Amino acid sequence: MDVLIASTLEAFRLLFSGNAEIWEIIGISFRVSTLAILLAIPPALIIAFVLAYGNFFGRRFLISLFNTFLSIPAVVIGLTLFIVLSRQGPMGDLGLLFTQTAMMMGQFILCLPILIAMAHTSFQAADRRAWETARTLGANRFYAFVTVLYEIRFGLLAAMLAAYGRIISEVGASMMLGGNIAHYTRNIPTAIALETSKGNFAEGIALGVVLLFLAFVLNGLLHHVQGKGSIHP
Amino acid sequence: MIDSFQFGYRDICKQYRHKPVLTDISFTIGNSDCFIITGENGAGKTTLLRILAGIERPDNASITINQAPAKSWRSCRARLSQSAMYLHQQPYMLSGSVRRNLEYTARLNAAIIDKPAAVDQIMHWAGLELLATQNAVSLSGGQQQRVALARARLRDPQLLLLDEPTANLDTDGRGRTLLMLQAFLDSGTAIVISTHDPDIFQDLQAQALHLEDQTLFNKKAAPSKVSDIASYQKSRGK
Repeated sequence: MDVLIASTLEAFRLLFSGNAEIWEIIGISFRVSTLAILLAIPPALIIAFVLAYGNFFGRRFLISLFNTFLSIPAVVIGLTLFIVLSRQGPMGDLGLLFTQTAMMMGQFILCLPILIAMAHTSFQAADRRAWETARTLGANRFYAFVTVLYEIRFGLLAAMLAAYGRIISEVGASMMLGGNIAHYTRNIPTAIALETSKGNFAEGIALGVVLLFLAFVLNGLLHHVQGKGSIHP
Repeated sequence: MIDSFQFGYRDICKQYRHKPVLTDISFTIGNSDCFIITGENGAGKTTLLRILAGIERPDNASITINQAPAKSWRSCRARLSQSAMYLHQQPYMLSGSVRRNLEYTARLNAAIIDKPAAVDQIMHWAGLELLATQNAVSLSGGQQQRVALARARLRDPQLLLLDEPTANLDTDGRGRTLLMLQAFLDSGTAIVISTHDPDIFQDLQAQALHLEDQTLFNKKAAPSKVSDIASYQKSRGK
């Protein structure tokens, strides 16, 4: 118990003393995960919309496929991409393995099915009259799409928060694709795994606190926006 | 005023899961025409309105626009969406205030130059000034109907299609709706209304049609009872 308390106190000291290494790790985590989710959001929304409102052969199969992808372990995605990006793999010549780009690719693939599945549910739950009303009021297809996005914004925000929470805390794919290289590909989860294995609990707890704080802020933000319910596009 | 137009719908057919709903329905509609369509539940009234509005695809139909050669519904769909406006039985309110609903519509109408002034004018026309800042979703059925008609007024369609517009409205709400619809007709908009209660719309001088066995019949209007507009105006002391 004493170890836990001492480590926690040391963790807060590390955080608030502005330890450069800790904050560099935090920065890498946020940069990689934010870019990954920003790249994933547009295609995910379009795919979810087409799956919800489209009527084409294979639609149900695709919905089942994306729902299946929800439960794929991060290490499996890491392993698959590792093979693809390794020297002997089809994309080996690009030299992306053990880079932040490779980590981003892994996180992109991880969050895409979450975004698609949750956005698809939001689109389906949305009143179809929203789309028809926008169209009948004179909106073109793109503007009507934007209108429906706005109408289901809380569901979409929840999807984004869930996806962000998933990728910023995943360790398997980041470890395999980034290689946990100090000052380059070491992010919060891989650093926690490393420091814990070395017995440096304080650093691990400090980074864990950041993840907890992030979860708290994101959920508070969602709660605030839902309660307010008056944001405009 | 609405530009002169004439839409000719020919041989509209539609079936759901191999069950025919509409068979070879044809009719022509132009400026200030008003049709009332009656029929049993499930007769296909809503489907017909949605096909006329370019929302729902028929199995077969050809369209003549302003005496031009007939084209398929599919190739006329964009034009129909542009010219016709379909109002759901329970109008969908965009989230946000009544004013936002109207501003959204005004923004989409390029013909409106001074959009804030147009929104103010329409709110006055529909009697929505006191509701301007209220959340449109939380309004009563009658108030939402007024917002929907006010949006339609800003959209200024050539053809207005209303699905049971007076369902769940009280006498006051019906009277208001009739007055607003009359304003549309006066400005040249054509109106098609599906309803279970055609007597309400007697004062619109509408042509009565009846949808039965997948076919649209001409029907002589039932003798008017007490005029709803007249009773509404009388109750208002006009």
